[in-house]
Amino acid sequence: MGAKGFFTDTTICIGCKACEVACKQWNQLPDDGFALSGMSYDNTVALGASTWRHVAFIERPVPLSNQIADGFSWIFSSDVCKHCARAGCLESCPTGAIVRTEFDSVFVQSDICNGCGYCVVNCPFGVIDRREDDGRAWKCTLCYDRLKEDMTPACAKACPTASIQFGDLDELRQRAHQRVDHLHELGMNEAYLYGADKESQPGTEGLNAFFLLVDKPEVYNLPPDPVAPAKKVKESWISMGLAALGVAAVAFGAVLAAREGNGHG
Amino acid sequence: MIEGSNMAECHPVGFRWVMKAKERGATIIHVDPRFTRTSAVADIHVPIRAGTDIAFLGGIVNYILTRDRYFHEYVVNYTNAPAIISEEFKDTEDFDGLFGGWDGEKGAYNRSTWMYEGVDPEAASGSREGPSGPVQKQPIQAAQNDRTLQHPRCVFQLLKRHFSRYTPEMVENVCGIPADLFLKVAETMCRNSGRERTSAFCYAVGWTQHSIGVQYIRTAAIIQLLLGNMGRPGGSIMALRGHASIQGSTDIPTLYNLLPGYLPMPKAKHDKDFDTYVRLNESPSGWWGEFRKYAVSLMKAYYGDKATKENGWCFDRMPMLTADHSHMNTVAAMADGDVKGYFVMGENPVVGSMNGPMQREGLRKLEWLVVRDLNLIETADFWRSAPEIERGEVKPEDIQTEVFFFPAAAHTEKDGSFTNTQRLLQWHHKAIPPPGDCQSELDFTYKLGLRLQELYADSTLERDKAIQDLTWTYPTEGPKNEIVAEAVLKEINGYTIADGQPVPGFTALKDDGSTVSGCWIYAGSYANGMNMTARRKPGSQQNAAAREWGWAWPADRRMLYNRASADPEGKPWSERKRYVWWDEDKKRWTGEDTPDFIVDRPPSYRPGPDARGKDTIAGMDPFIMQADGKGWLFAASGLEDGPFPTHYEPEESIVQNPLYGQQCNPSRMEWWRRDNPYHRAFADPRFPFMITTYRLTEHHTAGGMSRWLSWLSELQPEMFCEVSPELAALQGLKNGGWATIRTARAEIEARVLVSLRVRPIRIQGQVIHQIGLPYHWSSKGLVVGDSVNDLISFVGDPNVSIQESKALTAMIEAGRRSRHRTVVTSGPLVPAMDPQAWQRDLPAARHKPGSEHGFKAEESKESNA
Amino acid sequence: MVRTDGRDIDLSLGVLSGEGSHQHVESVDERIKQIEPKPWGQMPTLSQHDPTYYDRPMLKEPVWKIDIPVYYFLGGAAGAALALGAAAQLLGDKGLQKFGRNCHIIGIIGSTVGGGLLIHDLGRPERFLNMMRVFRPTSPMNVGAWILSGAAPLAIAAGLFSNRPGMWGWIGSAAGYGAGVFGLALAGYTGVLISNTAIPIYQQVRRLMPVLFLSSAAASAASILDIVFEDPRAHRITLIFGTAGRLAELATGFAIEREAGKVEQVARPLKTGVSGALWRTAEVLTVASLVLAVVPGKSTARRKWAGVFGALGSLALRLAVHYAGAASARDPRASFRQQRAGFGAAELGNG
Repeated sequence: MGAKGFFTDTTICIGCKACEVACKQWNQLPDDGFALSGMSYDNTVALGASTWRHVAFIERPVPLSNQIADGFSWIFSSDVCKHCARAGCLESCPTGAIVRTEFDSVFVQSDICNGCGYCVVNCPFGVIDRREDDGRAWKCTLCYDRLKEDMTPACAKACPTASIQFGDLDELRQRAHQRVDHLHELGMNEAYLYGADKESQPGTEGLNAFFLLVDKPEVYNLPPDPVAPAKKVKESWISMGLAALGVAAVAFGAVLAAREGNGHG
Repeated sequence: MIEGSNMAECHPVGFRWVMKAKERGATIIHVDPRFTRTSAVADIHVPIRAGTDIAFLGGIVNYILTRDRYFHEYVVNYTNAPAIISEEFKDTEDFDGLFGGWDGEKGAYNRSTWMYEGVDPEAASGSREGPSGPVQKQPIQAAQNDRTLQHPRCVFQLLKRHFSRYTPEMVENVCGIPADLFLKVAETMCRNSGRERTSAFCYAVGWTQHSIGVQYIRTAAIIQLLLGNMGRPGGSIMALRGHASIQGSTDIPTLYNLLPGYLPMPKAKHDKDFDTYVRLNESPSGWWGEFRKYAVSLMKAYYGDKATKENGWCFDRMPMLTADHSHMNTVAAMADGDVKGYFVMGENPVVGSMNGPMQREGLRKLEWLVVRDLNLIETADFWRSAPEIERGEVKPEDIQTEVFFFPAAAHTEKDGSFTNTQRLLQWHHKAIPPPGDCQSELDFTYKLGLRLQELYADSTLERDKAIQDLTWTYPTEGPKNEIVAEAVLKEINGYTIADGQPVPGFTALKDDGSTVSGCWIYAGSYANGMNMTARRKPGSQQNAAAREWGWAWPADRRMLYNRASADPEGKPWSERKRYVWWDEDKKRWTGEDTPDFIVDRPPSYRPGPDARGKDTIAGMDPFIMQADGKGWLFAASGLEDGPFPTHYEPEESIVQNPLYGQQCNPSRMEWWRRDNPYHRAFADPRFPFMITTYRLTEHHTAGGMSRWLSWLSELQPEMFCEVSPELAALQGLKNGGWATIRTARAEIEARVLVSLRVRPIRIQGQVIHQIGLPYHWSSKGLVVGDSVNDLISFVGDPNVSIQESKALTAMIEAGRRSRHRTVVTSGPLVPAMDPQAWQRDLPAARHKPGSEHGFKAEESKESNA
Repeated sequence: MVRTDGRDIDLSLGVLSGEGSHQHVESVDERIKQIEPKPWGQMPTLSQHDPTYYDRPMLKEPVWKIDIPVYYFLGGAAGAALALGAAAQLLGDKGLQKFGRNCHIIGIIGSTVGGGLLIHDLGRPERFLNMMRVFRPTSPMNVGAWILSGAAPLAIAAGLFSNRPGMWGWIGSAAGYGAGVFGLALAGYTGVLISNTAIPIYQQVRRLMPVLFLSSAAASAASILDIVFEDPRAHRITLIFGTAGRLAELATGFAIEREAGKVEQVARPLKTGVSGALWRTAEVLTVASLVLAVVPGKSTARRKWAGVFGALGSLALRLAVHYAGAASARDPRASFRQQRAGFGAAELGNG
């Protein structure tokens, strides 16, 4: 089938949130409550079990280099599950509910998930979450049901400016690099790709949903150097092994010291 | 140039084309009091004081004229720049802000001095009645012209003089735009216009909703004519509408003063019979010379066989205007108890229209009210959930109005067409039948008509023939016998009576009663019996004009006046921008689009001295709807408030008009009533801040379609105001806290968003703070809030009577509103009439009879029709 | 105005079949988000040198409730006790049989009650058996499920059949040894489990956390044995085992503070808030327990108190770790600064 994913070019996002609504409508997700956040126009706040697309709004007192706006800029980014090549959630799921599909996306089988919550703490981007009144973990499915019918995911389909681009990953990566080069030619040197491939983000070995950003990742609430925890777990196992041997040794020693004939009767 | 519009937020899907243009190197300039989502992706953001766009645009006109940046050949040949104006004409420079001809008795302009020397041309649209009775009309060829543009009374020189004080310094002084930024914008526009390049304007209600709104658009039109951008690809002016099919609502009008196809509604006083009606409205030159054909075809559509030449085509059956029945006037009449009943269909006036308290007062005095909508909107619920009732001022028991609520079918549940801003008709197919009792407007109206005909069947009264004689038989389908929408489209398109065949276009319409057409500009939409509006050939398979997607009026022209894309000899101005041109071999106009011109009229054609009607259009007159075929820099007729746009301050402003002594638009419509109190014209100490109202992407107008949906409601859940950090510090407002905003009309509360996107404007050494208010909330729905439009008064543009909601004054304070404050609609707090009302007008313009109700001069006040 | 479940779909007109349509939604009225808007002057995006996204958390907090740290405690004590029991079986004399049995009892109770807590904490407890659908070595939780599924039955078998004559006794012994091995894993895998997360403080101290958990397990096993059982033979064992455990616990605790302190923001949960208070309390209790245990004297009461403090200290430690994780996940600066300081994927190059 070939790996498919998203390339999100945040320089052409207009913050319309059509992606959020299309996702909710296609997947028939419930709302997340009605409260004003005071965070610019972002009342969605974060991704979660019932919100699989989240548009971030950042008002900055610094200009974009290709814009004349009295030293001000407002940048937007539509956040989504990154469908990492090395996915923390997938590798930690104890029930095998999280699988990789034929489209190379990461998919949670909600009929198997028993809500252990381990994926929740394993996502280096804070994407997946467990819904308390439902008990299971949920996240973006990359519209697996639509992909199987050869359709485009709902968010990419709805995005009016084609900020969210869907397609074969190789082609998307090529297009993304061309776009960055083009922006640099126009003088917009702050543009860069985030998570485009294994070289630039070794901790996840590349994101199947990668981004073109114009400020530090922290500004968008993205980690600057994320790692799938499973890539570092070997050290913990080794520690445990050694410590277990230590405990065993002490246990033996203690028992030996308490044997009859060692001063205790 | 996007101005008076927040296109990315309000037209996000259409905005994709702007982004594509940007990708190809276009420069996007956004002029707006706030930094919006459009500004975020624009190349230049220009912060402007709300209500001062004419000063800004006039500054650009001045720039173009003083630096000779206009497209000379285009201006000389295609505009009325060379035309010489009557020597009686006096400009605002002569009278400190008034044009000559102000009639103090009538409270309006006598426009006879605004005319070409020796002629009075008919306007293509707008108010068409003569200034005083029938006028001697001559074809326009008699007009005098100076093609060197040097004559002191030629339009060009008058234009130059009119805008001579709109310098960059003045722009900075009036609009608060730094002069160097202004110059950059003007230079960018000029550099990108002319023979090889074109620039476009996009505007929306940020321009129209002012008491001088029409003149804003006029100024942009002047700029585009001077730069040679009109009628050329990538140029012209795009009017972005506030609604999906609002263009359709003026084409097949829901407006009180129009008949389908922009024929004017007959007036009881002037239009005694059909021939008089035609005579007063047709034009001896230009395309409106065909007026009779359209009018007859329309009457045949209404009255069928009953309409004959002998009985004047049943013209006497038509309802006729006895006064200005525009929205504000009607609501004011309602509030006075003069109106019995009200149909409200697909609208929510107590939230979407100005002065909500007065709207509700009007509703309370009705005998009956019919509301059709998807949800139980605030207008239908006014008797139960209004602020006055919450405050205890009004009790539901005391309201006598009988309210009928009919559930409406959603757009997916009915057939029909939408007409968008490009005059493009697109058919929408019904996907599922409406549930339960839900019904489309078309079917409701049809069934209502049937019942009325049944009710009046036995009447012998002459006036009931208006109902009895209507053609009202249409095919129906389905289990509920719903009317077939396509049949109505066929009638609108028109057909020849003899064989019932649809007409191919409006040129086939006749004035002998052999053709029917419900709307002449839509003729052709059902040509050959095919629903042209349902065509859907993808754009990727067509050229840029994409003529096989939907159908545009008139005659499927995608761009109006596209003759102007070619030079006077019929060759395109530039190969790069070729659009329509004269094919010498075939002796026809041809091109990417349907030529908006008489297709076989060569560029060399010049009308003879006895030419009439459309024969007066020369081969180099692209603006065929104008009487002289030229683009009008000087609007000799058609507008109430001046042939040239002039900067006036909004009805309620902070500062005096820096340019003229005349503070506001002298022709504006006002309603001097106790329930519509105005603030002082400027420097009202009670209301020291400006507010501007606008939309958000996440909600739709009054919220009837968005605040009842969870997925949209959670995106913008609460009513909020946007203030600058400076204003927040000044008034003690906290981000996320509450604020109360107050005018003399009402008081509302809102959450506060403190943001750098709203900046104070500094002019004349003063700091003007602006507050932004999105107007989507009211009392019903999943998410509720206070209605912003309650704050706005009734004040209207004189040409189209649109409300002024984009610039007014108010007070803002921290904290939630008092629950028990009574407003001026009742109780002891009614303020006295403002003794300083005269501040808005020069002494010459102060007397305005009839403004208690806002009727325009010479209209009858006995309006109980 | 009656709210629906947020899908606003009239079921007589349309069918719910979207991927998220079977997300169960409880009563809608309580689901109002609580967000405290930030004052203007404190908008983090105003500052370019220390940006966050309005100080909102970047990671998701663990969804685990208090069942989990209690399970760490119980499972840890059970595992260490089983290890002791196996050691007693292997190397002990007949007099230590009772001791071994006590160990098995602790092992049985700890693992079964612990298992029950784990099941109770699941979002869908009825699906707990899904843990056994796969064997996934990359997931410590899956491995842990298998470990627990082995440890509990083995402990029960050891408890039932040890010291019986004949083949049963043989089975019991084998079970006992098996339980000992599984027990060590049981006591230590939870340390790996929480290190294998994206939470900054857990990531930072991932090499030390299993050591901490095993040490604490040893200390708590010894403490519980002291509290519950009166066995003079056992006392020497628990003294050595417990002291070693408590010392290791304290030492590893200090090492963790130092390791976490390499990035100041990451170490904050150990110093502030509920987790900081619990961490300190655990240290104090463990020291008290250590002192009380090693002071010479035969007072039973003193021994019991040492056990109580030790057990409480161990429990407090697990709770501290649990809440520290939540606090660390909530703090975006912890992740950002940790990764900027080179402790993110940059560490991968170092092997």
